[in-house]
Amino acid sequence: MSRLVIRDAGPFTTVQDLGRPGYLRVGIPPSGPMDREAFILANRLVGNADGAAALESTFSGPRVEFSDERLVAITGADMPVTLDGAAAPRWESFRVRAGGVLRLGAARWGVRCYLAVSGGIDTPPALGSRATYVRGQLGGLGGRTLQKGDALPLGRAGASRPARVTRERVPDYTIEPDVRVVLGPQDDRFTPAGIAAFLEGPYEMLPQSDRMGARFRGPRIEHARGHDIVSDGVALGGIQVIGEGQPIVLLVDRQSTGGYTKSATVCSFDIGRVGQVKPGQRLRFRRVTVGEAHAILRSRRQELDTAIE
Amino acid sequence: MAIYPEPRFLPCGDVAVSVELGEEISREVNARVLALEYLIGQTALAGVTETVPTFRALLVYYDPLVAGYEALCATLGSLVAQARPELLPPARIVELPCCYGGELGFELDAAAAKLGLPPDEVARLHASADYYVFFVGFTPGLPYMTGMPERLTIPRLETPRTNTPPGSVGIGGTQCSVYSVESPGGFWVLGRTPLRLYDPAAPDPILLRAGDHVRFRLIAHAEFDAIAAQVAAGTYRPRIEQGEPRRVARRGERAGEASERIEQGEPRRVARRGERAGEASERSEEGSR
Repeated sequence: MSRLVIRDAGPFTTVQDLGRPGYLRVGIPPSGPMDREAFILANRLVGNADGAAALESTFSGPRVEFSDERLVAITGADMPVTLDGAAAPRWESFRVRAGGVLRLGAARWGVRCYLAVSGGIDTPPALGSRATYVRGQLGGLGGRTLQKGDALPLGRAGASRPARVTRERVPDYTIEPDVRVVLGPQDDRFTPAGIAAFLEGPYEMLPQSDRMGARFRGPRIEHARGHDIVSDGVALGGIQVIGEGQPIVLLVDRQSTGGYTKSATVCSFDIGRVGQVKPGQRLRFRRVTVGEAHAILRSRRQELDTAIE
Repeated sequence: MAIYPEPRFLPCGDVAVSVELGEEISREVNARVLALEYLIGQTALAGVTETVPTFRALLVYYDPLVAGYEALCATLGSLVAQARPELLPPARIVELPCCYGGELGFELDAAAAKLGLPPDEVARLHASADYYVFFVGFTPGLPYMTGMPERLTIPRLETPRTNTPPGSVGIGGTQCSVYSVESPGGFWVLGRTPLRLYDPAAPDPILLRAGDHVRFRLIAHAEFDAIAAQVAAGTYRPRIEQGEPRRVARRGERAGEASERIEQGEPRRVARRGERAGEASERSEEGSR
């Protein structure tokens, strides 16, 4: 049976697919990749469906051994990659022979990297998805981060040829990005000065950030009257502003509901970019309308469809 | 006004909108929220990908490439006008066996002292009430409930615990809750249920749903152990009964008076893949009526 054997897991490597929608209403988050576009490109580079399961690694990648020949692709964070000791490319698929060892190092820029293998990872789905939700011990391999010695079953690989992402579609993680937000749902709970400060920034990513939420430090976002609300649903990208006026962007493993005011919501197409900001790096929140956001979303989908040559 | 004359639509980024139906936390407003969610499911509204009910709002996730914002809000607005709680299938009554006091209910004595009641009386009062689940969330399977007897109103712990075992039944303020996963907590733990409100290994991992009624049944430690063993073996079937058809709770009416009829409950049914969690049992029971 075809397997991917984990020789070293890295600090936080999990199996992910495009997630587990439909269960937020009972408190189970969708999970899935933090950087959805990088994840989809990795799968497309090896001829997989967008939703095939692949590995997400945070800060530092794994060392893995293949039991049979596969096409692989690595996207996302800028990590040094070697195949059997020789340098190997990112954002480009290549073949690994049976017994080949692929090693991903520490991220120079960016945070999350994706390793897709032709045929996909074939761990048993939970609630219709292979995505790992570590806090809920659900999905992936035993609902946990991978460990040394784990052997992941692989699906049947179709015939695919190596491909690569065009140069202009490879993101530059050294840049401190502007992240698009739509104001609301509780922007009326802040002072005009507070909202102005929020949109001026910049905000520095804090090391306490994870797949549940990204914490930032920056100009105080002043409340008009208290930070508590009647608990409501927390959308992907929802920006909770806690007592000290500092923002937390809620991400793929977020709590389904919350009782803090939310100044704005990061647009779905910029969530992946938030997930690639290193602790200590900064970003700015830039306001768009819902209509503008939808236009950007459309063009981003088209760009994704023309990203591979 | 408990319910807004017109719903408020609050954008939540590019893929979600919050439909807020009222100002206050009440069963009346919440029943409207659940009815709206139910209608959206029944009409299979194009572009809606997921819904999350809370006290007074429904968060609606959508695919903007299928449904535009203005058109979606207009459609949701017309559904709000039709969202009468009478449409909802009958509420379920879920029994939670609970062992009060001792090592499992390690704060029963302290809470009783604070309330000036004998511990047995606190347990009896707590188990005598009918609780209504506004919604489930924050952590997987955690119920937000109302219906606790007023005499059990108690300030939250001054220093929250760093860890509370799953299944712990706690009270704080006017609220009662059951910890679904190991987590920090500021509620006084009166007892523990051997049932799992969240069981990631089960085909249907969530026990409670928005709109359910919950009744606690006092059990002794020996029965707790026996049920816990059955739960671990996967052979325990929670008692879930069919309530009366929902009716609108009037303002000021005490929570949890809607359903009193007792009959043998259907065993918990496994949600099929693709079926939205939380509708499986209600649908099957509706069909069996």
